[in-house]
Amino acid sequence: MFQNYSQPLEFTNLTSWLDAALRENLPEFWAVFIELVLVGVVLLAAYAVLAMILIYVERKITAFFQARIGPNRVGKYGIFQTVADVLKILIKEIIHVNKVDKFLFYAAPFFMIVASVLTFGAIPFGKSLHAVDFNIGVFYVTAVSSLGIIGVLLAGWSSNNKYSMIGAMRSGAQFVSYELSAGFALMTMVVLSGTMQFSEMIESQAYCWNIFNGHISSLVAFVIYLISGHAETNRGPFDLPEAESELTAGYHTEYSGLQFGFFYLAEYLNMFIIASIAATVFLGGWMPLQISGWDGFNQLMWYIPSYIWFFGKVGFLIFLSLWVRWSFPRLRIDQLLNLEWKYLLPINLVNILVMVILVLTGLTLTDLF
Amino acid sequence: MAQQIIFYILAVIISVFSIMAVTSKRLIRSATYLLFVLLGTAGLYLLLGYHYLFAVQVAVYAGGIMVLYIFAILLTQKPGEKITPEPLRQRVLAIVLSLVGIVFCGYIIFSNITKVYTLVTQSELNTKHIGMTLMGTEKFQYLLPFEVISILLLACIVGAIMIARKRS
Amino acid sequence: MRTFKQYITGLFGGIKSLLSGLSVTWKELWIKKVTQQYPENRDTLVISDRFRAELVMSHDENNEHACTACGICEMNCPNGTIQVISKMTETEDGKKKKELDRYVYDLGMCTFCNLCVITCPSSAIKFTNHFENATFTRNKLVQQLNHEGSKLRAKKKEPISAQPVPKEKE
Repeated sequence: MFQNYSQPLEFTNLTSWLDAALRENLPEFWAVFIELVLVGVVLLAAYAVLAMILIYVERKITAFFQARIGPNRVGKYGIFQTVADVLKILIKEIIHVNKVDKFLFYAAPFFMIVASVLTFGAIPFGKSLHAVDFNIGVFYVTAVSSLGIIGVLLAGWSSNNKYSMIGAMRSGAQFVSYELSAGFALMTMVVLSGTMQFSEMIESQAYCWNIFNGHISSLVAFVIYLISGHAETNRGPFDLPEAESELTAGYHTEYSGLQFGFFYLAEYLNMFIIASIAATVFLGGWMPLQISGWDGFNQLMWYIPSYIWFFGKVGFLIFLSLWVRWSFPRLRIDQLLNLEWKYLLPINLVNILVMVILVLTGLTLTDLF
Repeated sequence: MAQQIIFYILAVIISVFSIMAVTSKRLIRSATYLLFVLLGTAGLYLLLGYHYLFAVQVAVYAGGIMVLYIFAILLTQKPGEKITPEPLRQRVLAIVLSLVGIVFCGYIIFSNITKVYTLVTQSELNTKHIGMTLMGTEKFQYLLPFEVISILLLACIVGAIMIARKRS
Repeated sequence: MRTFKQYITGLFGGIKSLLSGLSVTWKELWIKKVTQQYPENRDTLVISDRFRAELVMSHDENNEHACTACGICEMNCPNGTIQVISKMTETEDGKKKKELDRYVYDLGMCTFCNLCVITCPSSAIKFTNHFENATFTRNKLVQQLNHEGSKLRAKKKEPISAQPVPKEKE
C-alpha cells in the first residue's frame, strides 16, 4: 500500500539487512537471541535518553511559561544540564532508613520502572521500529501500566511515614479512578478502528486520522484520554499524591539517590507513554499526513521519516500536557474524584454509545466520503 | 528448549512465592507475594502465546484485585504488625486440607489433560473470536452465562448499597 | 431536570473557564523573560534604589559628615550591629564637646531593618543598594563608616528637622 512512495530515511532497510545478516551467519536460535538482546538494549537506552531529553524540555518549557530562561549554564542553552543531573543522581548515596519494611521498600521502585518499561516496549516509534506488537496491543498497554500503582502503594506503606502513606492512598484512589476513563476512551477508539493491534490501527489511519474519522465522538474521547492520562501520571493539576505543600514529596519522601531516580524517571516516561499512545490511537502514530489521491503531496510527506512524524506528534501532546500543568492550580481530592466519577465517566459511557452508533450507521468520515 | 527453561523458572517462581505468601508473618507482604504468583501465572499464559488471557490476568488480578487487597489491608488492621501463629492443630488441619485439594485438582487435571491438550490447535486466538464466543447466542457461545454472571454482580452491588446505606 | 441543566451548564462553563486560563498562560509563554544573567550583566544590572544592602555614612567633599554621635541608632538597633564610639574634645572657647571617634558597623549582624536610618535625627546614615558584600573572612564585615580624619559638618542656621540636609553621594 505504501511501498510505492519512496522513503529514503527509514530504518526498514537497516533492520531487515541486520536480520538477514544474522540469519545467514548464525543458527536460528542464536540469531533470534541476539536480536532480542539488541532490541532490549536499544529500548533501555532509548528509555534513558528519552527521559533525559524530556526532563530538559520540561524544564525549559516550564521556565518559558514562568517568564524565566531555564537551565542555561551547562553547555550551550544548558543542553547538558540533565546529563549532569543524571550523573549526580547515579553517584548519590542511597540512604537506608531503619524502620522501613526492607523488602517492600527496595522492591517498590522496580514495580514502577518495570511497568513503565513494559509499556514503553509496546509503543510503535516508527515504521518497523516496533518491539512488541500483540494483537491485543491497546489492552496490553492498559493492563501492564496498571502495575505501576502497586509500586506507589507499596512505597507509601513501606516507608513507615505518614506523608508517604497519605500520598500513596491518594495516588491509589486517583489511579484506579482515572484508569477507568482512560480505558474507556481507548475502547471508544477500538470500536472505531475495529482492532486492538497498534500496527493495524496505524494502517487504518493512513488517509484519515482517527480523531477526524470519528469527528465529535473521537474528539471527546481524545480530550478525556488526555485528561485521565495526565491524572494517571500524577502530574500537573492532579499532582496531589506528591503535593509539596501538604505531603513533602508524597510516596517517595523517604527515597533518595537512584531509588528516587527510578520514580522520577518512571514519572517522566509515563508522560511520554501517555502522549505516544494518544498519538498512536488518535493521531495516526508514525503515519504521515496523507490525503487520498494527492500523490505528489503524499510523496512529499513520506520524505519526512516516520519516526520524525511520531516524535512530532508526541512532542505536541507533551507540550499540551505541560501547558495544562502550568495553567491550573492543584485540585482537591474530592474535586478530583468528582471530576472523574461525575463528569468524565458518564460522558465517556455516552460517548462510547455514540461511537457505536456512528460506526454502525456509517457516519464516520471514511464511510461518508 | 528455551520455552522449557522459561517454564521451569516460572514454575519455581510461582511455587516459591505461593509458599511464601502463606507463611509470611506480615499481611501486606503476603499480598505482595501473592501478586508475584499472579504475575507468574500471567507469564505462563504469555509463554503459551495466549496474549488475551495474559492481559486479562495482569489487568484484573495484578492491576485491580491486588490494588483492592492492598487498599483493604491498609485500611482495616494495623498492617505492620506481625500475625501470631495459629495453634499447631489448626496448622496441621490446614495442611491436610490443602493436600486434599491438591490431590483433587491434580486428579481432575491429570485425567483430562489429554482432552484439553488436543483442543488447543490455534497458535493465537484473536480478540474478535473471543468476543464472538463470549457474546454470541449460537451453540458453544456464552451470552446467557455472561448475562447471568452480570446479574449476579448487579445483585452484589445492590446488596453492598443496602448494607452501606444510612438507616434513617 | 433542573439539576441536569445545571450539570450541563456547569460542564460547559468549566470548559470555558479552563480555556480562558490556558489562553492566559499561552500569552505568558511569549512575553519577555525577566531572568537577570547576573555575573555577565554586571554593567547593565539595575538594582532598585529601595534595595537595602549596606549602611553608609554620607560624607561631603570637605570630608565632613552629619553624625553627632548621639547614639540613637545604636540604641534602636535590634541586634547590636552598630557601635558608636565617641570622644570628648575641647573647642577653642573651652567648652567640652562630644564628637564621633569611630562608627563601627557589623554587616554580618545587620538585618537591614532600616530602624537606624529612620531614627537618625540628623540623617547622617543611609542604605545603599551596593549588594556585592561577600568577603572571605567575617572580620572584614566589621566596617568603620566614618572616614579617616572626617569631622562634623558645621551647623546651619535653619533647624534640621524642618528641612533635612541634602546628601551627596559618597
